Amino acid sequence: MTILEVKGLRKIYSTRSQGNKVEALKNVNFSVEQGEYVAIMGESGSGKTTLLNILAAIDKPTSGEVVLEGRNLSDIKESQMAAFRRKNLGFVFQEFNLLDTFTMEDNIYLPLVLAGKSYKEMNERLMPIANELGIAGLLKKYPYEVSGGQKQRGAVARAMITNPKLILADEPTGALDSKSSDELLRLFGEVNKSGQTILMVTHSVKAASMANRILFIKDGEVYHQIYRGNDTDDILYQKISDTLTMIATGGEKR
Amino acid sequence: MKAGFYPKLAFLGIRKNRLMYFPYILTCAGMITMYYIIVFLQFSDTVTNLRGGVTLQEMLKFGGRVIAIFSCIFLFYTNSFIMRRRRREFGLYNILGMGKGNIGRMLFWEYLIISVISIGAGLVSGIVISKLAELGLINIIKSKLNYNLYISGTAVIRSVTIFGLIFVLLFLNSLRQVKFTSAVMLLKSESTGEKPPKGNWFIGILGAAVLIAAYYLAISIKNPLQALTMFFVAVLLVIAGTYFIMISGSVLFCRILQKKKNYYYKPNHFVSVSQMAYRMKRNGAGLASICILATMVLVIISSTLCMVVGEEDSLNSRYPRECNMSFCFAYQDSISDMRIDSLKKDIEKVTKKQGISCDDVYEYRYIDAAGVLAGDTVDIKPPEKFNAVSSEAVGLIIVNLSDYNRISGVNEVLKDDEALMYTNITKYDYETIGFNNGDTYKIKKQLDRFDMNSSVSMVTAIPYIALVVQDINKASYDSGYNISFDYGFNVDKGGRAKEKMYSRLGDMFKDGGSLRDTYNIVSFYYDDKEEGREAFYSLYGGLFYMGIILSIVFIFATVLIIYYKQISEGYEDCMRFEIMKKVGMTGREIRKNINSQLLLVFFIPLVFAACHLIFAFPVIRELLLMFNINNVPLFVVTALISFAVFGIFYVIVYRITSNAYYNIVSKAKE
Repeated sequence: MTILEVKGLRKIYSTRSQGNKVEALKNVNFSVEQGEYVAIMGESGSGKTTLLNILAAIDKPTSGEVVLEGRNLSDIKESQMAAFRRKNLGFVFQEFNLLDTFTMEDNIYLPLVLAGKSYKEMNERLMPIANELGIAGLLKKYPYEVSGGQKQRGAVARAMITNPKLILADEPTGALDSKSSDELLRLFGEVNKSGQTILMVTHSVKAASMANRILFIKDGEVYHQIYRGNDTDDILYQKISDTLTMIATGGEKR
Repeated sequence: MKAGFYPKLAFLGIRKNRLMYFPYILTCAGMITMYYIIVFLQFSDTVTNLRGGVTLQEMLKFGGRVIAIFSCIFLFYTNSFIMRRRRREFGLYNILGMGKGNIGRMLFWEYLIISVISIGAGLVSGIVISKLAELGLINIIKSKLNYNLYISGTAVIRSVTIFGLIFVLLFLNSLRQVKFTSAVMLLKSESTGEKPPKGNWFIGILGAAVLIAAYYLAISIKNPLQALTMFFVAVLLVIAGTYFIMISGSVLFCRILQKKKNYYYKPNHFVSVSQMAYRMKRNGAGLASICILATMVLVIISSTLCMVVGEEDSLNSRYPRECNMSFCFAYQDSISDMRIDSLKKDIEKVTKKQGISCDDVYEYRYIDAAGVLAGDTVDIKPPEKFNAVSSEAVGLIIVNLSDYNRISGVNEVLKDDEALMYTNITKYDYETIGFNNGDTYKIKKQLDRFDMNSSVSMVTAIPYIALVVQDINKASYDSGYNISFDYGFNVDKGGRAKEKMYSRLGDMFKDGGSLRDTYNIVSFYYDDKEEGREAFYSLYGGLFYMGIILSIVFIFATVLIIYYKQISEGYEDCMRFEIMKKVGMTGREIRKNINSQLLLVFFIPLVFAACHLIFAFPVIRELLLMFNINNVPLFVVTALISFAVFGIFYVIVYRITSNAYYNIVSKAKE
């Protein structure tokens, strides 16, 4: 079943002073199936972040559409947008974005509290997730008391607790050391195996090599994609590296 | 390096931080203005020449010192706030290659610029406003005006010296801060202290205990002398208690709310409660300061306003008639009807000769004494033989029933051994009252009020017992008794005739007077209401005036603290605002949430101030008694008016400063 469909996405920024137009996204088309683990790669300025912002409904496309489970994002009213995002999307950011005023537990609860759930229900939902992510012992701590990797796992828990249709991860390993990165990527893999659809934007070949499918973006278009098929992580890693080299040296498309 | 480099850098530094420096300079200028005005009035000849002007200038001197000390403390406080925000900038300069010496030079120029601007502006506005202030003062104490504007050199020199000194101290302090911190620390300083607050039970409970003790002390004060001594203790306790509670108790309160899961995990409470714990930790001291300043303003304004409004009442109780005289005699039989009639005739001769007719005569005889109250017995002693400030010391006035009935317009009847009693002691439960000379009276009735204490009015400031008896001449004589006769009347003539009358009366009754021995007079004095009025007005009006000036200074400070609080919270909340948005809160939800927190946090000091005012009430009541003001409803009204006006003002400040807050938060959003 297709969960996300992106059709003919185009985004033009115009600078206010000179009226210069910058085309961040030209024509992006792809779709994501239920249960997929997709990585999006591309160089700085390739339009990754713009794409993610549009998928997250923070930004609006100039033309084209994003359909999440049959609903066109542009049809959703501004006033309902926050609730829609809360319900359907989970976010993991590079900088964790945990509130320092909350304990880890309360940070994870935040979207559910906003949705008006009872404490009992929240707690029932939290426990399996916390155990899965290995943060059950840290729930009463404050973000400043735990390591970066632990913070990020808290942020993943916060993204998962609403049972979102799709988790959007923006450079989730960007601020982590290699050990924490590996650990987080392993967890992403497990979460995905239990049925969660994940879309991850990343620079890191290592991170991308854990996904089922890798999309490469260049100059505002999907330039190439690699399916894992039966490849191991190592083979996939090699393929990604080759593709990146090819893109960087300006090789012909496909 | 070019000569103008540091001044230019300093100027840019101030301009870049104008959001913080502008109100700071404004406040400095405001305080200098107030200080200049006070010193100006203190040395103003116009004021010296007023009746009571010298007393007034003593008060102004005191007020000037209060402002100087307060300004120093307060400017240090706000300066540290600014420095905290600027450390990052200094750290950056340091890393870019400026040595600490260079930063010091830049700081020097900054302080020079700030002090020149604020002292200059403060003096100019002080000079302009000082004439207005003088007119205001003269108007409040109801005296005559003159209209020439001049600059007081003394006031200028003093203002420049005092505030120049404060700025030098501020500069040295900033220098010290820069010197003892490394570049990395300077860079990071703004993000340190991010620990979540843990409510400190000990301090929280201590705060509550201290505050309760202060309140208990305040309500248990029984008389004005005690009030005077305990007042400052109570004030210090209240200040300490408020700080402890705001800093720690409030965090504890939030923690308790967080433990109540059904309350805490609700969309409206979740973010507010957790952020409030933070806010209170960071800004508890600021809130406590706001609360204390608000309380001071309320206490000062309400009590001095009460004095000004009640000054005519006070005057009337102190001076029942336009001319008042009091005789004290050596023997008890000097106040027999026959002798008193004869004395009155002699006074009448004098007034007739001056062509003055005496109306509304007010007269009564009384015995007054002092002693120590033990149970239902007063041990009468000469004043030098006991401690007048001890809680058992008690004054005593005994008057005749016939005088009482006439003056109070009632018709009480008493047997020889019965008495009516009035006392300002909280409770007197006995059915009789006795004296060490053997006299005992059955108390027939306790009176609600007793007005025949004009000449012993200062007695109202200490605990006393007034007794109305059938015939004071039948009371057993005691060496501690003063036997007196008060006589007053209104006159139809003032000026020369009245002066002559007073001088003739003096000739007859004062020391060596012609009739002094005839009537066995021990002492005689007269009080003229007109003279008293001027003294009263200059005292009460002067206090009110001081109250207004001090309140303006305190209000300046309050506004500035509130403003800085909002700004610093604005910067802190920027990031949280952003995160909450990403996690899926709408802008409106966040705004609603923040609004409710701001409102709650903002009005906590006002609520506490109101509470302090209520508990200060008994103390202020006792203190006002010393000024002959015994009008509780009046004080309640003035307190309510002061609170209402202050409250409205506070709301306006809230609106303005919360806009500053929203600007900061929403700017970061874009």
